[in-house]
Amino acid sequence: MSGSRWQEPVITAVASAAILVVCFAPLAALAVDAASAASTANVSLWRLTQLFASTVVTAGAVTLVALGIGIPLGVLLARTDLPGRRAALILHAFPLFVPPFLLALGWFHLARADGALGSVLAAAALFGRAGLIAVLGLALTPAATALTMLGVDGIDPALEEAARTVARPAVVVRRILLPLARPALALAGLVVFALAFSEIGVPMFLRVRTYPAAVLARLGGIAYAPGEAFLLVLPLLGLALVLAIIERRFGGLRTLSALGVRTDRPRWPLGRWRWPVAIACWLVVAAGVAPFAAVAAEALASDRLGEAVTPAIPSVWNSLRVAAITATVVTAGGLVLARALVNRGRASRAVDALAALAFITPAAALGTGVTIVWNRPTTGFIYTAPMILVVGLAGRYAVLGIRPLAAVLSRTPPHIDDAARAAGASYLRRLGRIVVPMHRRAIVASWMLVAVFALRDLETVILFYPAGEEPLMVRIFTLEANGPPAVIATLALLQVGLTALTLAAGVALLGRRR
Amino acid sequence: MTAALELANLSVRRGAAAVLADVDLSLAPGEIVALLGPSGAGKSTIVRVALGLMAPTTGTVAIDGRLASSGSRVLVPPEERGMGVVFQDLALWPHLTVRDNLAFALHGRRLGREETAARISSLLDDLGIAALDRRYPGALSGGERQRVAIARALVGDPTAILLDEPLANLDLVLKTELLGVFQRVLRRGRTSTLYVTHDPREAAVLADRVAVLETGRITHLGSPTAIARDPRTPFARAIASELVSTLSATDGRAHE
Repeated sequence: MSGSRWQEPVITAVASAAILVVCFAPLAALAVDAASAASTANVSLWRLTQLFASTVVTAGAVTLVALGIGIPLGVLLARTDLPGRRAALILHAFPLFVPPFLLALGWFHLARADGALGSVLAAAALFGRAGLIAVLGLALTPAATALTMLGVDGIDPALEEAARTVARPAVVVRRILLPLARPALALAGLVVFALAFSEIGVPMFLRVRTYPAAVLARLGGIAYAPGEAFLLVLPLLGLALVLAIIERRFGGLRTLSALGVRTDRPRWPLGRWRWPVAIACWLVVAAGVAPFAAVAAEALASDRLGEAVTPAIPSVWNSLRVAAITATVVTAGGLVLARALVNRGRASRAVDALAALAFITPAAALGTGVTIVWNRPTTGFIYTAPMILVVGLAGRYAVLGIRPLAAVLSRTPPHIDDAARAAGASYLRRLGRIVVPMHRRAIVASWMLVAVFALRDLETVILFYPAGEEPLMVRIFTLEANGPPAVIATLALLQVGLTALTLAAGVALLGRRR
Repeated sequence: MTAALELANLSVRRGAAAVLADVDLSLAPGEIVALLGPSGAGKSTIVRVALGLMAPTTGTVAIDGRLASSGSRVLVPPEERGMGVVFQDLALWPHLTVRDNLAFALHGRRLGREETAARISSLLDDLGIAALDRRYPGALSGGERQRVAIARALVGDPTAILLDEPLANLDLVLKTELLGVFQRVLRRGRTSTLYVTHDPREAAVLADRVAVLETGRITHLGSPTAIARDPRTPFARAIASELVSTLSATDGRAHE
């Protein structure tokens, strides 16, 4: 048995080193280069500060919209007998897995003069900061809903039942459930804010100037000036650190502690409010999926489906391949690090914090860092190949492989592993014969989550995708400026279909029982 | 006299399986009834149905003569039943102080601030935990938490109080001490009590009557002495000697 003692420390060290390379190296390199570029760049600090502040305010407003809708909806879906709850949840959650840019595209088709909601007012409202806040708010509301549900489901049912014996449901929600679910709600706010701040596609499409778009313009757009881009990224690093501190304070594993728990507690009857509340909830759900219907209508009305799809096949293949490899690498590494995290390894906590930092760092900053680290003669073979997409995406989404798995593993009684260890099983054997079979559903779910986020990513990969190897989302975004609307709508529909298929495959696998 | 709590012909089914079958049980005002049964007998289901947290499949629940559940319908929601409860894991709200835990239980009673404060202080004083009122549950010992839980259940002056295995998993010394506390506060307040347990010694110490629940049916109902004298099932025979020895040790308290 002593011959296998090396397994756990070595494998954990390799996984940790990989996280350091994909998450920490870009941020560290960026900090160093940005500091030196600051002295040479020629930018207007006042205008930059204004742009930064307006982007923070916009992201804050998006967060308020998402929490304002997502928290009540999450409580209703988690705890009440709302009609069609399951279908509502599935339809409501779907937009989160699709790039918000496609939702903006759908809203454009709905709001334009001949669209279903077409009016001058609707179109004018869409192209502006209010439209940006509404579109992103609706797109990111499912994150708030889902995290609220997790938070509420993670509460000990007895705490809720004890409160139900003395207070009305509304009071129980306000005084007991929401305060106890505060870590989840705080994380929801943080995730929505980070995603809203990072977003590039929607503000550029709706012609709203934002800070990350300014970085992108200086790295690859008409205002090419990499020195300035590095300088612009400095405040983003500061913002990321602030968000990371908030995440440590409120979030962590506690938020996801309900994962893997069966929540078959009885639901609160809504009584006479059942149908009015159901109508309100379904209106929110409909607002989330209506843009897809508009995109589908636009695409299917065209007779150029083949013309649109054929040239995009390499991009589809590239998206799928990169998403699958990223998800596999991240889930495998995530499993190893999640185990270390559950076993309270100090180093693994630091690695987990780095992964969280990379996720909440605005994508423009992380993407710029990836360029600095890998765009060198010695690493050019990676930078110019699709492998760079895997490296960048693994850095951004590593936390999605670690946290959910750690939450599930933390619910396994330690004696299960101890018994296998006492029976002489090595680390790899325990991993392969005990941990993976026991938690295969969580592993599939984690893989699916990373794959779908890799498929939807635009804001990270747009900064460093290799020539001729662009993923489908990048192709759609670059076509948007001057491509035929029907072709763009068809490709958008293709992207939505890929996401739906990936999710359906995952759900089918998750639904299988022994 | 109207029963504080009355369960009549109560049945609960989960799929094809019967969790409870034709349970009849009533609690007279001021009476302490122990619901004694092995794990999985359906004891906690009775508590949940009595509280209105779940609906029975058939049968009725009446509280103070008022129909609260009938058939598969919960007619009176849990917060309007005026019941106190202590769950096995106590379910103290961790984000509220001891005082706030009790104050929340008085929510909806429309008491003035001073009356609320006075009622809480008096109860905490009575249970010997007045000095802990600003502490959070996480900063309390096991025994202190038990006292807070019983105080929270009593503070609303409930029609009946349900204690769902509150002393399970405690060591013998603490269990004995807390049984004394329960006995004192429940007897003095003449609170109708349904005390759920799997420990015959707790039932013998506390209860006026014992209901033995086995696989969802009440097989015995009577004083601890009567059940000890005439056990008709293997489970009842197994607990009879414990009942007798505890009754002897407590000087055969007047249960009959």
